[in-house]
Amino acid sequence: MNIMPGIDSTASALQAEKLRMDIIGQNIANAHTTRGPDGQPYKRQTVQFEAKLLELGRDQNGNMQTAQGVNVRAVGTDESAGPLVYNPGHPDADEKGMVRLPNVNLTHEMVDLISASRSYEANLQVVRTSRQMAQQALRIGKA
Amino acid sequence: MIDDLMQRENYVLAKKLLDVSHAKQNAIASNLANVETPGYKRIDIQSDFEANLRKAASSNDVSEISNLQFRTVTDLSTPSVRADGNNVQIDQEMLRMQKNAIQYEFLANYTSTSLSRLKTAISGRV
Repeated sequence: MNIMPGIDSTASALQAEKLRMDIIGQNIANAHTTRGPDGQPYKRQTVQFEAKLLELGRDQNGNMQTAQGVNVRAVGTDESAGPLVYNPGHPDADEKGMVRLPNVNLTHEMVDLISASRSYEANLQVVRTSRQMAQQALRIGKA
Repeated sequence: MIDDLMQRENYVLAKKLLDVSHAKQNAIASNLANVETPGYKRIDIQSDFEANLRKAASSNDVSEISNLQFRTVTDLSTPSVRADGNNVQIDQEMLRMQKNAIQYEFLANYTSTSLSRLKTAISGRV
């Protein structure tokens, strides 16, 4: 048994949400990148979460105690085509004067960013509560 | 003799409830960690545990309370409002967590107070 309940699940969640925010930041930073290292416009990156089973040890009756954490299964690439705009003065314009922009939608990214930061806050609140509980357990018999 | 004191119903009951509270915080942490995992179903302490504990407590048999088992189960009854099947509602989980934390604090304080009363009785000093 862990002295701070739920701390393993929360640790994995904080890590996953932080990675998600990193990826969103990368998408926003490259929202106008028309030429990446491969010569193609930037493709939006996505994060896929999956639940993972954590084994916390056994209780006094020998039953395995488990909790679920969260794992980043993969960082994927959104292969959908970005918008095509007419801008003949652009260095990446084709012979018809069209430029392929990245498939990053700033509105979507901002919504995702807020959702990630709210999840992060909720998990931080779990850490605070668990710490409080651990301190109370340690104070048993002292007062 | 001191063993008998520690085996009194109130200590055994408080211990069991602290254990449940701890397990519940574990479950809530799992749920909040997976608030955005596609297909995740929330977990909770089995819903009939409280009724079982009440029954055991009224039986006046301490071993029945300490032998009472509780399990963490997947909650499939809560409807999901999301297309991916995840049924965690962040506000509900936060409320459960606050409620559970207060319960834990009460139990920890209760145990401490009982122990200090015992100490006072032994030492004769207030």
